[in-house]
Amino acid sequence: MPLLLVLHWKHGAGSPLPFTPVNATCATRHPCHSNVMSQIRNQLAQLNGSANALFILYYTAQGEPFPNNLDKLCAPNVTDFPPFHANGTEKARLVELYRIIAYLGAALSNITQDQKLLNPNALSLHSKLSVTADVMRGLLSNVHCRLCNKYHVAHVDVAYGPDTSDKDVFQKKKLGCQLLGKYKQVIGIVTQAF
Amino acid sequence: MALFAVFQTAFALALLSLRTCQSEVLDEYLPLAPQSLNVSINATLQHLRLQWIVHQLPYQELQMVFPIEISRIETSKVIWTGNYSTTVKKNQVLHWSWESELPLECATHFVRIKSIANDARFPQLNFVSNWSSWEEVPAPTPGDSQWLIFPRSKLVEEGANVTFCYNSETNHNISCYLGDELIHREQLDSNLYTFQLTNVPFINIYGITIACWENNRIDGAVLFVSKVLEEPKNFSCQTQDYKTLKCTWDPGVDTALGYNKQPSQHYTLFESISGKKKFCGQKNWCDWEISEDFPKTYNFTLTAENYLRKRTVRSVFDLTDRVHPKAPESVQFKNVGTTNATVTWKMPVLGNYVPLLCHIQLHDKETVRQEHNVSIRVNGEFLFRELQPDTEYMVRIRCIEATHLWKWSEWASQTFLTAEAAPSKALDVWRIVRSDKGLHNVALLWKPLSKFHANGKILFYNIIAQNLDKKSELKRLCIHAPANGTELTLGQGSYQIQVTANNSVGTSPASEIVISGSSENEEVEEERINGTEDGFFISWKPRSGNMTRYVVDWCAHPQSLHCDLQWKHVGPNTTSAIISSDAFRPGIRYNFRIYELSAEKTAYLVERKTGYTQELAPSDSPQVVVRNLTSHSFALSWKAYDTESQSGFIQGYYVCLKSNTTQCHPDSVRVGLPDKSTCCKHDISDPKQKTFLVKNLQPESFYEFSVSSYTSAGEGPNTTFMKVTTPDGRSYMLMQIILPVTLCVLLTAVMCYWKSQWVKEKCYPDIPDPYKSSILSLIKSKENTHLTIMNVKDCIPDAIEVIHKSEGTKAQFPGTEKLFTESDSPKPANLYLLPAEDFSGPAPCISFENFTYNASACDSDSFAHIPVPSTALPNQLGMLASPDNVENTHTNSQEEIPAGEISLNYVSQLASPMSGDKDTLLIDPPEPVLCSEYKMQMAVPSHLASPVPSEMAASLEPF
Repeated sequence: MPLLLVLHWKHGAGSPLPFTPVNATCATRHPCHSNVMSQIRNQLAQLNGSANALFILYYTAQGEPFPNNLDKLCAPNVTDFPPFHANGTEKARLVELYRIIAYLGAALSNITQDQKLLNPNALSLHSKLSVTADVMRGLLSNVHCRLCNKYHVAHVDVAYGPDTSDKDVFQKKKLGCQLLGKYKQVIGIVTQAF
Repeated sequence: MALFAVFQTAFALALLSLRTCQSEVLDEYLPLAPQSLNVSINATLQHLRLQWIVHQLPYQELQMVFPIEISRIETSKVIWTGNYSTTVKKNQVLHWSWESELPLECATHFVRIKSIANDARFPQLNFVSNWSSWEEVPAPTPGDSQWLIFPRSKLVEEGANVTFCYNSETNHNISCYLGDELIHREQLDSNLYTFQLTNVPFINIYGITIACWENNRIDGAVLFVSKVLEEPKNFSCQTQDYKTLKCTWDPGVDTALGYNKQPSQHYTLFESISGKKKFCGQKNWCDWEISEDFPKTYNFTLTAENYLRKRTVRSVFDLTDRVHPKAPESVQFKNVGTTNATVTWKMPVLGNYVPLLCHIQLHDKETVRQEHNVSIRVNGEFLFRELQPDTEYMVRIRCIEATHLWKWSEWASQTFLTAEAAPSKALDVWRIVRSDKGLHNVALLWKPLSKFHANGKILFYNIIAQNLDKKSELKRLCIHAPANGTELTLGQGSYQIQVTANNSVGTSPASEIVISGSSENEEVEEERINGTEDGFFISWKPRSGNMTRYVVDWCAHPQSLHCDLQWKHVGPNTTSAIISSDAFRPGIRYNFRIYELSAEKTAYLVERKTGYTQELAPSDSPQVVVRNLTSHSFALSWKAYDTESQSGFIQGYYVCLKSNTTQCHPDSVRVGLPDKSTCCKHDISDPKQKTFLVKNLQPESFYEFSVSSYTSAGEGPNTTFMKVTTPDGRSYMLMQIILPVTLCVLLTAVMCYWKSQWVKEKCYPDIPDPYKSSILSLIKSKENTHLTIMNVKDCIPDAIEVIHKSEGTKAQFPGTEKLFTESDSPKPANLYLLPAEDFSGPAPCISFENFTYNASACDSDSFAHIPVPSTALPNQLGMLASPDNVENTHTNSQEEIPAGEISLNYVSQLASPMSGDKDTLLIDPPEPVLCSEYKMQMAVPSHLASPVPSEMAASLEPF
């Protein structure tokens, strides 16, 4: 995932890029399951169901001042977070969902890596982060399949969050908390939209 | 020429001027001044790094001092001044760092430097430069405008002081916390605040967060606190093969921090003589290669280093002093016998055959048996002597370099087993003899040989019993190990028993004991002894002088089925022994028997002892029975008490009596009971007394009692009280009388019933029934069918004389009629009974009246008259006349005639030829002879004569 982050890191990162035109060639390794949309909904529901617990686990593991200052340290003020319009077409919503999940997947990977260094004893947090990342990978695959098969969208340009490798420890903790706060907020909206 | 001169002068002046100028410049800008000063920031370490050069050193090196000044915010605010002394070499770039307490991000710093040449080797070169110009070091621009506090993350040692700063032109209302603790704030400048943390502790390797609030903004910094790097301890180097030196040390605490803030300290080994340096990959050891032409002396410096500190230790040594041989190899044994064995071993080659001193230890299972030192070069060998047969030994060998004795090698160990030998000691044998019907049942016991004496595994025991009276009578037994006893049944006479133990090699010396033909003297009195926790002290008196030793035996577990007989030998000159055993328990009675063992190996019982190591209170109480209960007393008795099973010598009994009375008998005391009641306690101090009479009781009263025994240790358990109610006195007496009387009556009744026939025959024989007489049928059939039964009128009565003794009146016969008509004379009863109208006429028969006979008549056996009981008479007569009349008449007739005054003389007209036996009469009736047959005593009217009702017949049946 860091490699993915590096590969996609370029000037202008943070702003979503347009997806592939409709008439582009689209191919998937495996045919989509007929109930892929149902699977997408289930995966969204699963993520939505665990997002709050993950958020709590995260800020608890960081220690003070995080648990008592969530509004200041963990407010969902994440710049460049991909937008989502619940009233758009299914195709548009799927494209936006793809961007969001790709963004979150990369961010979760960085957070997991940081937390393993910063809080090596917070095993439940590590486990929860890993499970969430796994579900997101599956969701991303299903969304891609749906876009490809139904809407013939072979490629969607995605954006990732800012590079945090040069951030200090406190900033990393804070950015992770903000991102998980944002994730908790967005995943609820997205789940309702589908 | 002049022009040339002028030109030359001008040139000279110019040159002079130039030299003067040059001299001034040299004076002003000597090359020894620091130049090219460059100041940079190491944000991680919060260091200002200075870098400069000194041009054109006149010498290869020069000792110089560089004064340095550092200002903060503005040049006038000098915060630090110091000197940096060093030896400057030609073309050397000089470095110096200054650690700022205040984070460099918070304020601009200024640095200037100058130089002083102050080398004693060049006194003429006494030079001080001017200060360089101020070099400005601007504060790093934060990459994020949200950042409030600096440094963002800092690495410090435990116990350090840390300063955080905050530089804000807009907001001055900021406060910072470490956990819940507010950090003291200090204002350095109009926009610059500092927060000072002193003596920071080590909390964890992942850092501690300092959180700062500015209105609605929160920022934080993470402080990484490292443990203080410790100096390596126990640093030493040694070689085992003259090829490699292995240096080891104790690294102390690991100073690594999380998030890659600081790795573990690393170690570097530097040898100053060779100038070689090695980075040690391990934290507590490092190998150093010894070159072929190895130096004799080494000077090692071990440096431990982390981001914050360095620690060094040194070790100087000669290589030959640090030889630590490897453990011996190939430890083997040869020529292993019963008492000898040879061990060989080999040492790893150590250089040029260095002399070694080896230390050998011989262990058995318990301890070190032998220790030896042997000098060797490479191969070692040693012979062990005085070993024990059939014993496993362990040999341990270690060696040391013999010259410098630096350090012993590790132990090398190996075990071996010596060969077996024949057992070396006779068995310790003892016996229990029980005589039964002339036979001796001998329980033969022996103690297993110790491993020391067994010299191998004992396989079996041989037993030979020889009759000393009949030498040819031998009994042989082979008992397989691990048995330690057997049973023998021997006949009469004395027997000598020999017991030997055998292993695979041979036989032990024989152990002998003689069983005497005479039975053991069991009449020796038993004496009580007092034991202690340590055992029993037993002493006895010698019985005879012809003995070899004494034997004391006892049961280790006397209360179990197998008593586990123990015995102890005591020398002949000793008449006491202390018997101690781990098996002894308090409250258990142990019985000891002391035997003399004669020279012929015969045992004679000398004394008996019994005692406890510690007496305890009785564990149970006797079973009590109440006897002889009366209204005023009762007796208690209990069975012979099993004192053997008691936990102490029974010294007596307590009888505790509860009653409603408040007074106790004078020989008892009132004691309280656990249930808060009281009882009168009688003390029976004689343990042989097993009865107790409780007296002076009240009738019809309720009593409770208990009986408990006691020993020197106390009283037995208070058993449940038994209840007794004394009976009423009168009813008791009545019972005393009524019971025997009732028994007598019953006995008499039984006797009477048993002899009823006899009594009946004697006292009231059956009266023959005239209606059943066979004569009737005879009369009917032959003479007169109307004639039924004899009527009184038909008979000519015999004369009855009534004799009045007092009056002397004599009735005259044959004036019979006159006699019956006289009113003042006693009248026979039948005169009233027989009705005159039914009289059928006279008959030529002889009859007799049926008077109630007097005593003399009843006793007349010759006529066999059966007396009629007075009670039967009314029934018999009831059919004939009024019972009242009959009874009255009959009674009157008896009463009116005094027995002493009147006697009736019955004069029979005919003597009956038959006996009075009715049965005989019925069976063998007489021949009908006119007027000579026995006539019925009563006349019955014809209409009543036949037939007799069955009821009546039944009622008359007994007669």
